Amino acid sequence: MPIRQKLVFLTIALALLLVIVELVRRRRLRVEYAWLWIAAGVTPLALILRYDLLVSLTELVGAAIPTSTLFFLCILYLAVLSLNYSVRLTELTRQVKELAQEVALLRAEKGPTP
Amino acid sequence: MSRVLIVIPAWNEAANLPDVLSELRRARPDAELLVVDDASADATSSVARGLGASLVRLPLHLGYGGAVQTGVKHALRRGFEVAVTFDGDGQHDPSDVAPLLQALGEGADLAIGSRFLSADSYRGSLGRRAGRAVFAAAARVLTGLPLTDPTSGLKALGPEAQRLFAMARFPDRFPDADAIVLASRARLRIVERPARMRRSRNRHSMHGGLRAVSYSFNMLGSLLVAALGRETDLKG
Repeated sequence: MPIRQKLVFLTIALALLLVIVELVRRRRLRVEYAWLWIAAGVTPLALILRYDLLVSLTELVGAAIPTSTLFFLCILYLAVLSLNYSVRLTELTRQVKELAQEVALLRAEKGPTP
Repeated sequence: MSRVLIVIPAWNEAANLPDVLSELRRARPDAELLVVDDASADATSSVARGLGASLVRLPLHLGYGGAVQTGVKHALRRGFEVAVTFDGDGQHDPSDVAPLLQALGEGADLAIGSRFLSADSYRGSLGRRAGRAVFAAAARVLTGLPLTDPTSGLKALGPEAQRLFAMARFPDRFPDADAIVLASRARLRIVERPARMRRSRNRHSMHGGLRAVSYSFNMLGSLLVAALGRETDLKG
């Protein structure tokens, strides 16, 4: 891996980690979500330090070049992440529905309001 | 005489409600009428209140299934023995409620008004009829019951059916064929009675154009979930 490439990756990964940590610190990102993103920041770091890992992984999955393995992993990661969001959205939809119904029923119990 | 709550889900039905409510009151003076205003932008709520119906007003739009479920929850909490779901757009005939109540009296848990058991019912366009036929066939296969009109919105629910319909994970888009499959898996006794459907007077009728496609796919999915879902999800 050329040094220029390493520097670019390193900068991006560190910046990402910094932003994530800061978001969590300011309570703008919940800790349980943060782990997923920290993984996204740490993985490129690991690959910079141990490029040979990426190469052996490439051989393992049968890809032609390490770049495609990297892209494949990124896309897979994003797909899993959005699946995770869909599951959470489903749960949130149900919760909002239950809440709306509860509000409506309680209001009706209280009697008409102007 | 058992206590009956007629649940009328209504979304922007201010124009249709006066007729629907007065017809219902004439046909069923014994029943309490509950309008569930699904966050309408028009005067649905004040019209309902002005006409003396009970009112539950949702703070945000949940859609047909969510509104019906709200009414059923109200029935459960107030201890109504029967909850009848009755569309707010004037397509149902109040005189068809009596046979449903009678069916519950004879031991059914869920009685459905079927336009296909009635000779002079409005049956909708060719596309809708085709779609309905498919879902009816699916419902027959999955329940083993001779159902003809699982998409009907005219239903009478006994206490067991009310509990099922009020479950948090109950299909909350359009509880149609999927709801009946769930009811059958929960071992409720389901019957159909003839009902005369009229042409909906509504501009924003529920299934038209692209919506029909999305409805069909969602219903197909929901049916599969109802049929293949876990046994434990049938309770609570």
